[in-house]
Amino acid sequence: MLPFTCRGIWRAAVHTLRTSRGMPPCRLLSTCDGVPPGLADAETIFALSSGHGRCGVAVIRVSGPASATALRCMAGLTRSLPPPRTALLRSITDSQAKEVLDRGLVLWFPAPHSFTGEDSVEFHIHGGPAVVTAVLQALGSVPGMRPAEAGEFTRRAFQAGKLGLTEVEGLGDLIHAETEAQRRQALRQMSGELGRLYQDWSHRLKRCLAHVEAFIDFSEDELIEDGVLNQVDRSVCTLQAEMVRHLKDERRGERLRSGVQVVIAGATNAGKSSLLNTLCQRPAAIVSPIAGTTRDVVETALDIGGFPVLLSDTAGLRDSLDLVEREGVRRARERVEQADLTLVVVDCAYLPTDVQQAAAFLQGHLKSVLQTQEQPETALPADRYLLVLNKTDLVPEDQRQKLDRELRQVSGLPPVCLISCHTNEGLQDFLTVLHSNVKTLCGDPLSGAPTLTQARHRAHLQQCVAALAQYQRYRDADLALAAEGVRLALTSLGRITGRVGAEEILDIIFKDFCIGK
Amino acid sequence: LDFSRCASHMLTKKPPVLQSFLSLVSRRASHLARQQYDVIVVGGGHAGTEAAAAAARVGAETLLVTQKTNTIGALSCNPSLGGVGKGHLVKEVDALDGLCGRAGDWAGIHFSILNRSKGPAVWGPRAQLDRQRYREFIQSELLSTPRLTVLEGSVEELLVTEPNPEEPGHHRVTGIHLANGSHPILASSVILTTGTFLSGSLFVGQTTSPGGRIGDAPSSAGLSHTLRERLGLRIGRLRTGTPPRIVKDTVDLSLTNLHPPDSHPTPFSFLNTHTRCKPEEQLPCYLTHTTPGVDRVVRESLHLNCHIQQDTKGPRYCPSIESRVLRFPGRRHQVWLEPEGLNSDLLYPQGLSMTMPPDVQLRLIREIPALHRAEIHTPGYGVQYDFVCPTQLSPALQVKSTQGLFLAGQINGTTGYEEAAAQGLWAGVNAARSALSMPPVALSRTESYIGVLIDDLVSRGVTEPYRMFTSRAEFRTSLRPDNADLRLTLKGRCVSSLRYQEAVRVRDGLQDALAALQTLTLSTHLWRKKLPDIGISESKSTILTGMDLLQYNNVSFEMLASVFPECLSPYMEFSQRLNIEAVYRPHCDLQKKEIERIQKEENMTLPQDIDYFSLPVSLSQEVREILDRVRPSTLGAATRLQGMTPAAVVNLLRYVQHTGQRGRRTHRNQPDQKEEREEELCARNASLPQ
Repeated sequence: MLPFTCRGIWRAAVHTLRTSRGMPPCRLLSTCDGVPPGLADAETIFALSSGHGRCGVAVIRVSGPASATALRCMAGLTRSLPPPRTALLRSITDSQAKEVLDRGLVLWFPAPHSFTGEDSVEFHIHGGPAVVTAVLQALGSVPGMRPAEAGEFTRRAFQAGKLGLTEVEGLGDLIHAETEAQRRQALRQMSGELGRLYQDWSHRLKRCLAHVEAFIDFSEDELIEDGVLNQVDRSVCTLQAEMVRHLKDERRGERLRSGVQVVIAGATNAGKSSLLNTLCQRPAAIVSPIAGTTRDVVETALDIGGFPVLLSDTAGLRDSLDLVEREGVRRARERVEQADLTLVVVDCAYLPTDVQQAAAFLQGHLKSVLQTQEQPETALPADRYLLVLNKTDLVPEDQRQKLDRELRQVSGLPPVCLISCHTNEGLQDFLTVLHSNVKTLCGDPLSGAPTLTQARHRAHLQQCVAALAQYQRYRDADLALAAEGVRLALTSLGRITGRVGAEEILDIIFKDFCIGK
Repeated sequence: LDFSRCASHMLTKKPPVLQSFLSLVSRRASHLARQQYDVIVVGGGHAGTEAAAAAARVGAETLLVTQKTNTIGALSCNPSLGGVGKGHLVKEVDALDGLCGRAGDWAGIHFSILNRSKGPAVWGPRAQLDRQRYREFIQSELLSTPRLTVLEGSVEELLVTEPNPEEPGHHRVTGIHLANGSHPILASSVILTTGTFLSGSLFVGQTTSPGGRIGDAPSSAGLSHTLRERLGLRIGRLRTGTPPRIVKDTVDLSLTNLHPPDSHPTPFSFLNTHTRCKPEEQLPCYLTHTTPGVDRVVRESLHLNCHIQQDTKGPRYCPSIESRVLRFPGRRHQVWLEPEGLNSDLLYPQGLSMTMPPDVQLRLIREIPALHRAEIHTPGYGVQYDFVCPTQLSPALQVKSTQGLFLAGQINGTTGYEEAAAQGLWAGVNAARSALSMPPVALSRTESYIGVLIDDLVSRGVTEPYRMFTSRAEFRTSLRPDNADLRLTLKGRCVSSLRYQEAVRVRDGLQDALAALQTLTLSTHLWRKKLPDIGISESKSTILTGMDLLQYNNVSFEMLASVFPECLSPYMEFSQRLNIEAVYRPHCDLQKKEIERIQKEENMTLPQDIDYFSLPVSLSQEVREILDRVRPSTLGAATRLQGMTPAAVVNLLRYVQHTGQRGRRTHRNQPDQKEEREEELCARNASLPQ
């Protein structure tokens, strides 16, 4: 098992929480600059605690030993801290850029009288995404601060004995839900250009580490030329420069899609594009009676009951020999995998008349639509899907009513809505169900908020750059400490791209070098 | 105790009197003083000898059974000890009072610190050994170890109880039965260190014969049968090999590159200040290379080579010359010619392990210019042997399903003397503790390479012979060869009082020295005045401590001591360790948090008898299957399993905390009992004759 200690999510679960408060982490770092913050003693976390969407006030929570430092830096409090648990109106500033970001309330909760039992701070700021992003980024640049992992606040509270075992019954489920939300979000970003960039860095960094490790473990007995290290020097240098440039780039390479991701999926000609057009009340997608009309993903931004939604219409799922359509189907499946909510559209006319048979048909249909290679046969969480039975105008009224009544009572099926995009029948009920689903999703600050992952990525990239500086600093004096720098860099990057184990490094070593002794 | 006195004690000890030793140990079962022991160790290799000595040190009446007493402590393959990663293990075994470090100091004839230019965390102490001297030392140590009896014999059968009806599949070991022994010999713990002898077969060319080492009888099939059939253990097969030994006089050494040893040999053992071999008596090694002719001979003889044709997993490191040629064709490979002993007329060609017919071996080596007239003394050969999949062991190296049965060395799928010695020692400690009704102890991967080795084995298993590399240790900067004593000796589980006191003295001395350096504060201006030759980069007004100064590349403790003799000169003996400590301490401090986290997880034990399928905790079927298959011993091991989800770990944590609380209520007195036992243990150690 290996050096790369990114055991991400679980990290804090068993941490000692009564952290020593003698020495603020910035002091510690100064004894050994070049070591990335956040991998250090630090362990002070922050996150947006309120949901996103249209809201007046956003709450950002900070917890850990550096909370006081963060409060001082951000609220411009040079000397005394505010009285505990009392709201104070301050200008919130970015201490590095010396720029006022917002005016808002700050609250100071010294340990142990806080939710987590640690020193904590809350910032109540205006709810706009720009302000929230700016404050999160400013917090990330305070020494010793890092974005919280999924469920970390709750876990800290649990560890500090602030929650009883019964109160925490749902903790596993909560973490599962948050991890899922993060996984979907990561998938969304990793499938794009940004993802390819990070993967490429990770790949190059792995080779650097493998070559340094090979030099350390084998060069005394084997033919491993000194040139190997020079190559690593060059790679580290290039990587560092690329990352620094990337961090400076205000455009961040790729616009991140904001909002709850709702995807319309189903068989061809079920009326998916009609549903999109009905929902956005304009002909955003071409509709025709020809199966396979939609071949690419059609996206449109919507406001549903005040919550931002990004609605995507996808190609109908079927096996096709047409290359373009096959690519469309692949993209459709990818979207479904990344979606927060999927609307599975079914043509009523294909439903068996017997209700039991109809239910079995729908279950089978759901499976075929939603099954991915990564998660074959796993139970489908019902709150991520809606079944939309379209074209009710084509079935007799009594059959429609029977379906409506009886399908609701079948267990194992997600909520079922019967609509007709042609007559708009049932549309109002469907919108109510959709609205309540979107609202639930928006209450979770993790879903659909790219600013959070963006802040996380930035923090990890900054750590990675700092760790690479350690390699350069120790390159000639102590290769073991220099290698430690590359290990730390890979750990930081691994928090974005996935953990790298020792075996993976050994695999590269044995592929690239003939180790004989 | 004075350090130099300890050292001289070690090295002025009379060279072993082999003759009397052999006559003493050549006992037959019928003459044994007793028919019952606390611990029986089967096998007298690196794992077995460390295991037996460690068990006896812990206080157990111990019996070592081996097929041939005069091969106890034999170096079956390369005549060397240590290296990068392996040297770390030797230092740790020594810190726990094991044999191999001191044996290396006694038998070494060529000492060098590998990686000298790459930072002290990865220095690799290494020595070429005199085979004869190494064996002598090990045998004499065992002879003088109280509570340890050595017996020559072949184990016919392992005695185990019928499975416990309440815990199906669970057995208890009760002893062994010797071939042609009339009575069974009983013991509460048995350690198997069978090396390559467990269903071993030897391969040369197209011939195959049963055995684990050339010249030695094969072991009985009974053991293998018991492990497989009665205990139902999963067994795998691995292979290894050894090169031909070459007659030194027939080698043209003028065509090789001379590799001299270090001019000042550094001993392995923390107890020794010097090695037996004087600096000027050391022998060199020679480096030469393969040629395209070697490739050709390998290819032409493939059809005559059974071993290489069979698809049993061999290692990616230490491969035979055949697999090197096949895997990396057209390359020049290094061949090290190493001395076999001070008076030996043989050379050991490291890198030329081969299994082709002997006449082809001769043809092959003669393709190398320096060996063009060389003669082979003993041909190389391959070995295939059984190993027990080590995920079936606990971190104490006990077979999970069989109380009292411990395994160490190649039987667990490792390769190398040092890896074997490390496991042997730890299995010995735990077998003795188990026999003496003391709770098992585990070494964490955060505190030692031994811990890394054992954790990798028991929680991940092996697919090829496992060898230690420094890249396997995530806390490499903390686990250095220089501080193995401070990390391990003070745990005091199996060390003599002499060594314990010495480690305490060193620890206190280092602490005092570091405190002295910390209180030595001057402004940068004054430092520049005192030490004009170093470029201090800090701004002029800063106050720097002696520790800060030591972090500069070109500042050494010796320099500071010459400027401040009154406060620093008492610590001159620690100067090298202080130089290292000053540079590494800030990095180690940064790792502390992560280390604490892992240790905390490792302290949360998961009961071995959990039925994961009916556990009333929310876990997916997939996770239940993983947990059931691997049965991790601790929450830490569970966390590292592939396929575990964070949610599953939290749910397991809840379960552990829940049952842990219940457990504490019922065994409230346990911690006190443990302390008493520790005291008793120390008392036993204190009474050891030094």
